[in-house]
Amino acid sequence: MKVVPSRSSEWVRPVTSQKPASAIIEIDRVSQVFQTSARKDHLALSDISLTIDEGAFVSILGPSGCGKSTLLYIVGGFVSPTSGAAKIKGQAITGPGPDRGPVFQEFALFPWKTVLGNVMYGPRQQGVRTPEAEAQSRALIEMVGLKGYENFYPKELSGGMKQRVALARTLAYHPEVLLMDEPFGALDAHTRTRLQNDLLNIWERDRKTVLFVTHSVDEAVFLSDKVVMMSKSPGRIRQVIDIDLPRPRRRNELLLDPRYQKYVVDIERMFDEVDETGSPS
Amino acid sequence: MTLLATSARRAAPVFACIGLLAIWQVASLALKNDSFPTAIEAIRAIPDILGDKESLINILASFRRMAIGFGVAVLVSIPLGLLMGRSRAVAAFFNPLLMVIYPVPKAALMPIIMLWLGVGDIAKTLVIFLGVSLPVIYHSFEGARAVEEKMLWSGAAMGLSPLQRLIRIVLPAALPEVLTGCRTGLVLALITMITSEMIARQSGAGNILFNALDMGQYDTVFAMIIIVGAMGICLDAIFERVRARLVRWSEPQFDMPLSFS
Repeated sequence: MKVVPSRSSEWVRPVTSQKPASAIIEIDRVSQVFQTSARKDHLALSDISLTIDEGAFVSILGPSGCGKSTLLYIVGGFVSPTSGAAKIKGQAITGPGPDRGPVFQEFALFPWKTVLGNVMYGPRQQGVRTPEAEAQSRALIEMVGLKGYENFYPKELSGGMKQRVALARTLAYHPEVLLMDEPFGALDAHTRTRLQNDLLNIWERDRKTVLFVTHSVDEAVFLSDKVVMMSKSPGRIRQVIDIDLPRPRRRNELLLDPRYQKYVVDIERMFDEVDETGSPS
Repeated sequence: MTLLATSARRAAPVFACIGLLAIWQVASLALKNDSFPTAIEAIRAIPDILGDKESLINILASFRRMAIGFGVAVLVSIPLGLLMGRSRAVAAFFNPLLMVIYPVPKAALMPIIMLWLGVGDIAKTLVIFLGVSLPVIYHSFEGARAVEEKMLWSGAAMGLSPLQRLIRIVLPAALPEVLTGCRTGLVLALITMITSEMIARQSGAGNILFNALDMGQYDTVFAMIIIVGAMGICLDAIFERVRARLVRWSEPQFDMPLSFS
């Protein structure tokens, strides 16, 4: 597994020549400029290069305004980069597709559909016949711990339950990559912890590639194989940290593990630096 | 809520109607004006109108024009409003046009439309169409604009094309707001129906009303006002039931008691 950041332009080389055999997503010198007003441009992402291996759980960590969500949206195909390119399995990303399944902080459920209707939506759209789609969806709803809530509408659910539905809805159409945009950011601390545990359990079963955006150091270390630390204004990759902790991970064991604690302390220090000074230019 | 409070709430509209008629009756008796019949006189004139074949045909003709004008307006305005809400180019093109038409009373256009299209069904239906369109377009526009971007992204990731997203995500997501516009449109359809017939006096409920006014048959005038009002209440009640059924998923989960009840 290799995540390759490039921080200076002289280090540029063709990504294809050096990519590891199992690379699934390649981000090649991506920059993103937003026009904030008629005259002012804001450089949200500057020259980002990153390779993500198949089956890896990679977190993008950074202070607010570092463009980490924008990077995720570029991989999702929801936003086109100003320059540079993103690829999935060697194919240039030109728009959204069912190979990349997003899970948003805002849940973005379809409020006019029940839990079952939401989860079945993707498979039905992919042409799976209703009986099969329903059986698969019911199994997924059970897996995310919502058995018995199939016929509830989103408005009748708590935030944590909504995010469980959103996860099931995305898993239902079997994306190869999960794109999670601060998925637990709107939840209270206890619910957040429970969803992290459950996400890890689900992930450790089939090891889908996950790109996970967060501003929580604990969350990033607890979940990930790699943490990509970003700095802000403009958004750049500051460092890529391998999280070398055994799996399956259990929270109660991990919290007592000195290696886990060291990762958290080190990354927190780095976080403070990038948040205060911005990126070195 | 207690049984008493529930039944009081149910009966409240009936009490309101009885109260209104009672005040009318008293005011009419006190004023002793020929052009202001009592409520009882007006109500007595209703069976005469509804029993008269000619009048009934007139009222049904009005109703038909209203239904067509309303129906066509809704079919055109919802897609247009939704498109305007999701596409800046479409909104930039239509917004100034609509802003010019919006404040003009649609009945004021009636004389010109009559010059072009005559005094028949087409002219009157067109005025109803114009009256209904604007609130429906406006509410559809606002509803579509408020649809969460991430919801559309979720749909796009599942493989929905832009047109599918408009029909299968924007339309249902905006439906509560769209139906609010339709409800306003329904009331406006009734208003423009009467005003169009008031100007193009040829047939219809408005024609009965204003003919009676010319001939000094004030009980018929007031009876027609009651009939039109009752039509409005019935249509609104039917629409409200349909609306509530369609957007049950968006209604607040608990019926919040008002602070003073």
